[in-house]
Amino acid sequence: MLILHHLEPLHWAVAGAGVAAITLALLFIANRRLGISTGLEDVCSFVMPAPYFARDAVRSARHWRMPFIGGLVLGGFVSAVLGGGFSPTWDLGMFDQVIGFGPAGKLAWMFAGGLFIGFGTRLAGGCTSGHGIFGLSNLEFPSLVSTASFMAAGILTTQIVYRVIF
Amino acid sequence: MALLYLLFGVIFGFILSRSGAADYNFIQGMFLFTNVQLYGIIGTAVALTAPGIWLIKRHGRTLFGRPIRIELKPQHRGNIAGGVLFGVGWSICGMCPGPIFVNVGEGKIYALAALAGALAGAGLFGAIYTRVQGLFRLPRLVVGTGDG
Repeated sequence: MLILHHLEPLHWAVAGAGVAAITLALLFIANRRLGISTGLEDVCSFVMPAPYFARDAVRSARHWRMPFIGGLVLGGFVSAVLGGGFSPTWDLGMFDQVIGFGPAGKLAWMFAGGLFIGFGTRLAGGCTSGHGIFGLSNLEFPSLVSTASFMAAGILTTQIVYRVIF
Repeated sequence: MALLYLLFGVIFGFILSRSGAADYNFIQGMFLFTNVQLYGIIGTAVALTAPGIWLIKRHGRTLFGRPIRIELKPQHRGNIAGGVLFGVGWSICGMCPGPIFVNVGEGKIYALAALAGALAGAGLFGAIYTRVQGLFRLPRLVVGTGDG
């Protein structure tokens, strides 16, 4: 069951096929390589003057990645509306049962995690989509290394948080 | 074209939202080995995308006849170090970058803090890039006006 309105999730094979279909459509129709964490740079590039955000790779891709990311937000919104209505929530599933921080604690927890995500994906050069889905599928060695690294670190962190600390 | 990318994003976001890929419990279940949903999704996606990319590259052209050009990601020490940092963050938030945006759209209030953190983290990396460039053997920046 999902946290969102306690909906039953799609079958994993259906969801995986859908992810593959969008990834391949982006490449075949528009010659675009799926990658979402680079979108964080796109946003930064509008407000930060650092040369890193003035790279050709950023400036030449903003025009497609920004609408794609806007679509992700909209897709989540549509999913909530169709699944029972849009109602902002603090519900965090097993975090509430096991760790149990209130709103302020959750915001601090999430901001801290977000820092790791933002810094880590930029240092690694990609995230689950660019390295994990596209990179692995395109048999790129750096993507295999990165994917193994973030899966191992995720497993270790969750095991420590849920089996050792809490 | 912007509308097409928006539409792709909506479909992709809807799938992430309804599959568990953007769900805190399913992400922890993957890392705790108590739920196979995410392994199934990622495994299926790669198993279908890999032959798809191979076919598209063999075809060599997009639907509209433009040459297919895939920019490869550079190999450096950051692949491991950044991957480890990202994995820690993925576990803490229960979201990777795509699902952060999806969770914001679903109305999960705390996802806004994850988004703020992710933008701050990316901003910090950009700001100190030239200082960590040697340490991680990162590529030289190619700065220009870009084509878009």
